[in-house]
Amino acid sequence: MKKVYVVCATGIATSTMLRLKIERFLNEHGIQANILQYRVTELSPSRMDADVVVATTGMPPEYEGLVPIVNGLPLITGVGEKEALEQVLNVLTGSTKEE
Amino acid sequence: MESILETIGNFLNTLGPLLVLPVVVAVLGIILGQKWDGAIRSGILTAIAFVGIFLTVGLLGSTLSTVGQAFAERTGTGLDIIDIGWPAASALAFGTPVGNLVIPIGIALNIILLLIGVTQTLDIDIWNFWHMAFVGAIVNFVTGSFALGLFAAAATMVIALFLADWSAPLIQKHFKMPGISIPHLQSAGYMLLAVPFAWVIDRIPFLKNLRLNPDTIRKRLGLLGEPMVLGLIIGFILALLAGQGLQEALVTAVNTGAVMLLVPRMVAILMEGLTPVSEAARNFMTQRFAGRQFYIGLDSAVLIGNPAVIAAGLLMVPVEILLALALAPLGNRTLPFIDLADGPFVAAMLAPLVAGDVLLTVILGAIVMGIGLIFTTLLAPAVTNMVTSGGVAVDIPAGYATYTVMSDAAVPTSYGLYYLFQTPQVVAIVVTLLIIVGLYFLKARFPLGEKIITPPEEGGTD
Repeated sequence: MKKVYVVCATGIATSTMLRLKIERFLNEHGIQANILQYRVTELSPSRMDADVVVATTGMPPEYEGLVPIVNGLPLITGVGEKEALEQVLNVLTGSTKEE
Repeated sequence: MESILETIGNFLNTLGPLLVLPVVVAVLGIILGQKWDGAIRSGILTAIAFVGIFLTVGLLGSTLSTVGQAFAERTGTGLDIIDIGWPAASALAFGTPVGNLVIPIGIALNIILLLIGVTQTLDIDIWNFWHMAFVGAIVNFVTGSFALGLFAAAATMVIALFLADWSAPLIQKHFKMPGISIPHLQSAGYMLLAVPFAWVIDRIPFLKNLRLNPDTIRKRLGLLGEPMVLGLIIGFILALLAGQGLQEALVTAVNTGAVMLLVPRMVAILMEGLTPVSEAARNFMTQRFAGRQFYIGLDSAVLIGNPAVIAAGLLMVPVEILLALALAPLGNRTLPFIDLADGPFVAAMLAPLVAGDVLLTVILGAIVMGIGLIFTTLLAPAVTNMVTSGGVAVDIPAGYATYTVMSDAAVPTSYGLYYLFQTPQVVAIVVTLLIIVGLYFLKARFPLGEKIITPPEEGGTD
């Protein structure tokens, strides 16, 4: 199963909004994914096992290249929301990691 | 008019948040165009969240109330007021009679202010209306008037919008986020107070040259960024200092770690209930303001991934503890605890004032939090009242173990209005309106567009 991390500064507020949106979107596209909610400061590069990270806050530089990161702000503001969701979908369907 | 409002206030109070908030959320959702089944589900989720929040805050109370008092007595520090943290405070604030109504009032007020063109911010961050609820609730407590509580909440909403407009140019530039503003008082509320201090510390050359590397700090103090671990460590140390044996102290540590993990989980359920409403509100408003220039008002959480902000936020943990101890002789009784995890919120909007320098941000943070801590102690009776009347099952022995909330009681808008409303009503209302007018001119004439310190070169501050 694919793993999606939704990340914000609290692990409560905007990440919940991300989780609900992405859950609904992936359901509509028939994709099963495990969506986990985190606060940015509790992540660590060594424990990073997500297929994609969607974050409403800037991710620290050490994650660059380690995992695909999608900017989640469009899902909050509504500006560019479709594109951001498509991006998540592309990352999840594009990669051929084992189930 | 006022007696009608009082009747409404009493009625809401009698029903309690478990019954009122779900109805408000569901009805508001339907008005804003949400489907009825989704709206009802949202309403039910908010009620369920309250059940969870009351349970977990009760756990905090039962774990910590005796520890806090024993700690204060044995160490002679006098820090016996426990910081319940913003996750719990937010829910409790929404659960008060003023808090029940703050979401519809806030949305309506924002729409009106946008229509008449006095604000550019469209605040879609409905969640953080709890700050307005908090101010309204403490004013309601101190005046005994529901009407004044509502007025204070509405005034806080306007202040938040104006602070967001005022700081927007600087925030957009510093964080490279065009089109947004931050009407989030947990961060924006500190800015006005911090600006003169930022001007002063900018003029101390020796401080400017001590550049701290945000990456080193994040690596060294990274564990403190995980609330559960922070809770375990602080809980264990407190328990030992409070005279508990090793085994008992370990149990206390596990319980405090649990509180740090569980309360936010419960609040996330509340958030899940409110999210569809906030989305409906956003769609409702953006449709009506299509084609107009405005800033989207967001939670300051969106600024916090910035390494300098995280680093400064982590450094705020020891700084806040030392401040609490150092300020004890001056009347501080607040024992920083749950909100230690939220240093980045204090730092978020102070950092741009000092061009993202970590040390200067921490100094600014120490100044505003130092002033704020004293007020967290002074506001403790109001917060304790919110906790006990909210339906949390905690026994508060007479005379001690009161609660406060470090993040919000320390915000100038909170304590400012709390004290303002202890003056005669007319004075309080007139001064509040004058403050609002003053802020309007401040943001219209002197928007925060310039960095106060110009860094020698781009020194990894972004």
